[in-house]
Amino acid sequence: MKPFSAGFHTGRDARNAGGFNRWMLAAAIAYIAATAALRWRAALPAISPALQWLLVGTALLFAVEATRRYVLYLRQADELLRRIQLEALGLGFAAGAVVALLYPLFELLGAPALGGRGIAVVLLLAWAAGSWLAARRYSGGT
Amino acid sequence: MRNRLRVLRAERSWSQGELADRLGVSRQTVNAIETGRYDPSLPLAFSIARLFDLAIEQVFEPEG
Repeated sequence: MKPFSAGFHTGRDARNAGGFNRWMLAAAIAYIAATAALRWRAALPAISPALQWLLVGTALLFAVEATRRYVLYLRQADELLRRIQLEALGLGFAAGAVVALLYPLFELLGAPALGGRGIAVVLLLAWAAGSWLAARRYSGGT
Repeated sequence: MRNRLRVLRAERSWSQGELADRLGVSRQTVNAIETGRYDPSLPLAFSIARLFDLAIEQVFEPEG
């Protein structure tokens, strides 16, 4: 998966982005596996408590490594790419904070419950949208 | 901030990609500087001036 700002990559940025994407994918797969195992553990005795801990721990480890790779990507990034990513992260954080603080009020008014995962999805979508908007802002004419 | 990057590059018949490689930045960064959408950091501005063997104020000047 190429980020929206892929055209702003140097060779090193592309390599760093590739490393981040691979660990992100591994973390997503581990997360899905851990979620499925925990959901069906009552029906499937083969999913022992030790295996459950292993799956959740693996998802956590992969997510931490993906985060480390993203920080490396950001630190070594081309300066315009870094600005685009920081603007995108700012938008993602702001959107996440607004939703986390205000959506519970809408829940009191009868809106469906969003939960922590819903907030995380909003944050990630806002990050992606911010990435696209910032990349669009700084490109043009070519 | 205004700059003469496009003119200086054209004088040397360099593509944006070639200039980007010489500076160690992406082609889009060169494009964004040339079109005035992005002002480079001070280290990059110095690198650009050094590459063209000019003083920084001969490449960049403030607007207005």
